[in-house]
Amino acid sequence: MSVAVRLRDFGWRPLRRRRPVLSGLDLTIEQGERVGVVGPSGAGKSSLLHAIAGILGATVPGHLDGSVETSGRVGMVLQDPAAAVVADRIGRDVAFGPENVGLAREQIWARVHESLDRVGLTQGPDHPTSALSGGERQRLALAGALALDPAILLLDEATSMLQSDQAEQVRRAVGECVADRRTTLVVVDHHIGPWLGELDRIVVLAEDGSTIELDDPGRLVADHGERLTAAGIWLPGIPAPPPSRIHDDLVAPDGPGPSLAVRQLGVELTSRRIRGTTTTVAVDRLDLDLASASLTALTGASGVGKSTVLAVLAGLQTPTRGTISGLDRSLHTERSPHTERSLHTLGSLDLARQVGWVPQTAEHGFLTSRVRDEIEFTSARLGRHVDTDQVLEVLRLSHLAEANPYRLSGGEQRRLALAAALAHRPGLIAADEPTVGQDRHTWAAVTGWLRGAADSGATVAIASHDPAVIDTADARVALTGRFG
Amino acid sequence: MTGLLARSNPLLLLAWAALAMVAAVAVRDLLTGVVMLALVVGIGLVVLPGRSGPRLRYLVVLLAALSTGWSTWLVGDRDLVVAVTAGLRVSVLALPGVALAPLVDPSELADQLAQRLKLPARGVIAVTAALQRIDLMAETWRQVSRTRRARGGGPGRGPVSQLRHLGSVSFAVLVATMRQATAMATAMDARGFDGADRRSWAELGPWRRSDTALLVLGVVLTILPYVLWWSR
Repeated sequence: MSVAVRLRDFGWRPLRRRRPVLSGLDLTIEQGERVGVVGPSGAGKSSLLHAIAGILGATVPGHLDGSVETSGRVGMVLQDPAAAVVADRIGRDVAFGPENVGLAREQIWARVHESLDRVGLTQGPDHPTSALSGGERQRLALAGALALDPAILLLDEATSMLQSDQAEQVRRAVGECVADRRTTLVVVDHHIGPWLGELDRIVVLAEDGSTIELDDPGRLVADHGERLTAAGIWLPGIPAPPPSRIHDDLVAPDGPGPSLAVRQLGVELTSRRIRGTTTTVAVDRLDLDLASASLTALTGASGVGKSTVLAVLAGLQTPTRGTISGLDRSLHTERSPHTERSLHTLGSLDLARQVGWVPQTAEHGFLTSRVRDEIEFTSARLGRHVDTDQVLEVLRLSHLAEANPYRLSGGEQRRLALAAALAHRPGLIAADEPTVGQDRHTWAAVTGWLRGAADSGATVAIASHDPAVIDTADARVALTGRFG
Repeated sequence: MTGLLARSNPLLLLAWAALAMVAAVAVRDLLTGVVMLALVVGIGLVVLPGRSGPRLRYLVVLLAALSTGWSTWLVGDRDLVVAVTAGLRVSVLALPGVALAPLVDPSELADQLAQRLKLPARGVIAVTAALQRIDLMAETWRQVSRTRRARGGGPGRGPVSQLRHLGSVSFAVLVATMRQATAMATAMDARGFDGADRRSWAELGPWRRSDTALLVLGVVLTILPYVLWWSR
């Protein structure tokens, strides 16, 4: 059997990072082998895939060591599915790969239909890519990779934004693809459990840069469960860790957060595009109660309006209809101590004093060029003290204090966004998918932070797909259905 | 409103926008200007589909025409005829392009440019991928300003603060767009774009007889102001 991928003494250090993300890595993958890569947040899992795809050093700047050899065409599904969309209709998007290799027109469309079927996108090739939800985009990206008939298929957190039934469908599609064709598969996933049945081998990337290779994924939990769990790796059948205890000084707001009553909330979103304006109903007639000193989880499939509700609660989206009461007491601002105002009319500083908002897309929120400055930014504006070193340590970012926020891994960026949004200890917290991309340790820190804020008086609302964090909530609100 | 242009070839739309620029050069007097603008507006009303993009975009043309006319009036000895002619010239130049832009489908245009005009595939793909991302910039803009506002980095009430904020958000959006472009280049290369020497195309929209007819009409309209100009 021939070798599909061979890394020799491979090392990778992103631009302006002192320590390498990967070093001295030796890895050989046979053709047709299916390998799972696991490891704690920031261990270099994505970098390993990028190395195999041959884009490190070229498209992504940094310093390379050692060698990478691959044989055959590589197809890759990236962490951010939105970045992979190249056309405005899904058929043309999937056709992009086959076009690049110069297939004839009939063959291109045969591949397009086959690939769309496999991932279960049934809207037809003329469906606009802009109308897809995050989960659907992830499936589109997979279809785009499958259409190339790759010899090596690389998946980077390809199911992280999907509901469990959609994730299962994607895994089945991948399974079929590697079953018929001797395709080599490399999967990176924080939750490797559901993949284990498909895999021949597991590679563990440890935080210190060393690797462990396990040849029998079925024995993964039994033989190595304890050690891997201690290293922060999620394994099937092992319950989530308890949320970390975070000292009150870091999370306790000045006074108790507001108790909010949302009634008949309706939000229409208008998007202006070159080709015209479209209005969609994101939220319709929603009633919601948020108690102070409690954590409320908003759940539901992608596209039901969870993020929009959080943006309304955080005063960032003006509601079209409905009322939010309970805010007046906490809304006495310095400029107008006696008038009642709603959050979305507040000035930026007054709003920041009340609210902390953790965005879903972490990197759009960075305001400075240093992790430490990022955490201190809002507190400095408000004249509040923040113990930055302590915050960094709690969220396991201490070693990155001087790094550029944009050079962090996906999971690290999300933790930084959380710290940046909440370090000033607001009384009302709205966090959008706060636990995505976290290992067990960092998950416990993130959840502990939100839990700690709620326990010390804050009103906390989160939107999430993650059953473990939903379990820690005091109240759960399921949003349902698309609206006409 | 026949909507004749809704299904026409994107190359025709491009040709019309280009011909308008050529025609505008010959708008040298008031009569030619009035005739040409009337023709552009009249034909536009006939061939444009009923709902074609944001109406607000015509304001851009109006502003351009007014400001050109105004400045010409100021520097051109306060001659009203000269000023109005200048305004009309700008309108004839810009109106067709602004009216037609929303009708151009980026990937259909790419098909035509690469297959009918035989332009290099890599350049064509890069340009259309960029065009397709413009809509995404609005979303990025919203995200960036939201986070700033929530973190106390939003603008104050004064115009200076607003302006400074605008600059800072623009810069952040620019940075984000560059980063997205890198990510997109990565995704495109991961799908075989870097080695695409002999690229094929999944589709090619037709060039209809109506497209030929409309092209001829456009050429005639472009020659008309030159005829008017030389005949005086």
